[in-house]
Amino acid sequence: METIMVYLENMFAGLPKTPEVEHLKQELLSGMEDKYLELKREGKSENEAIGIVISEFGNIEELTAELGIQPVSAEEAVPVLTEEEAYAYTTAKRNAGFWIGLGVLLCASGVAFLIFMDTLFENYATSAANRSVETGAVLGLIGMFVLIAIAVGMFIHSGMKLERFSHMEKGFQLPYTLKMSIQHSRESFALTYRIAIITGVCLCILSPVFIFAASSINDNYASYGVSAFMVMAGVGAFLFVYYGNIQGAYTNLLEKHQLTVEKKQEVKIVRAVEAIVWPLATAIFLFTGFVYQRWDINWAIFPITGILSGSFSNVYHIMKSKNPS
Amino acid sequence: MISSDVIRGYNDTLILYMLLEGESYGYEISKNIRQLTEEKYVMKETTLYSAFTRLEKNGYIESFYLDENSLGKRRTYYRITLPGLDYYREKCEEWKVTQEVVNLFIREL
Repeated sequence: METIMVYLENMFAGLPKTPEVEHLKQELLSGMEDKYLELKREGKSENEAIGIVISEFGNIEELTAELGIQPVSAEEAVPVLTEEEAYAYTTAKRNAGFWIGLGVLLCASGVAFLIFMDTLFENYATSAANRSVETGAVLGLIGMFVLIAIAVGMFIHSGMKLERFSHMEKGFQLPYTLKMSIQHSRESFALTYRIAIITGVCLCILSPVFIFAASSINDNYASYGVSAFMVMAGVGAFLFVYYGNIQGAYTNLLEKHQLTVEKKQEVKIVRAVEAIVWPLATAIFLFTGFVYQRWDINWAIFPITGILSGSFSNVYHIMKSKNPS
Repeated sequence: MISSDVIRGYNDTLILYMLLEGESYGYEISKNIRQLTEEKYVMKETTLYSAFTRLEKNGYIESFYLDENSLGKRRTYYRITLPGLDYYREKCEEWKVTQEVVNLFIREL
């Protein structure tokens, strides 16, 4: 009897789940069950009975035509993802994560380089001519902009690489075996991911130690500590971005098959806010550093910005889900 | 066994005929059709239930639930309505004419 139920489920799989359709399905099931039980009573074997019932089922189109409903057509149905596509996607996400992570690290290094060069020339120029102070700033700025330019190139490159998979946002289906295989990959990646994230968090938390250490030796050295802090936090960020992208690829494949319009909007707004907040934080950081020489405390703007932008995204998410208008 | 294409226009008539004797339910109707035709015509499940849907929509039959005492199973029963009777008579007339017409073109070879 279970075979018959599965058969009927399959026949109705492509139909909309309206009360009318559900009722009709129950009626058909009841009729088929009557027939099956009678055939068994007549002494037919299980297989024979099932075979006869299924052969006399008929044609599902006959029902859909009567109800005036269209079975979900092949065009509207979401495409099935092939194994090649799924693996191409995870590879592309991994590569994109690598280049974006490296780009973030380069940006942080660029800022670190500027602070380093400026401080270096300032410390050695106390006795020498004023000109070399400017040389340090100019060299630092050139270095920073070169590094940031390379980073921007990397961002654009990885963005374009991922463009190819934008059709996946419209939704897709995963064949059962592929789903199992991806789930397996995700499970074996879980430990690596956890270690990477913990390491990244530790690096970020520990990075201000450089500033304290350097300023305890000599107040003038505080800004060297800031450079080291930036690089170390940058390495932490690289770990987040790189491993986060790999994990994100698995999540995208296995969980959220279709981003809702609201969710898409949420992601967009959160990204837009981050795109303003982080450069602003960096500008304030550099300004307070160079103008007021407060390298010893102004690094705190980054963790503060991090917490604020994180809470903004959470608060926004909660507000949105409270009024689903 | 005859093909369902030939008989398509008369599935409703067959079902209405079965209901002339009294109320009945899906499987019983299809079983009786099978027996009456000596298994020359077996109505497919989807044909039967789309006919029920159509006939009920047109008001030719009405459905109601009845509990089977022995099995405790609730079944959907059908009974023919007055418009259903009229429709049945119409179809009988139509068939007579159809038969006459087609017969004009039938001869032994």
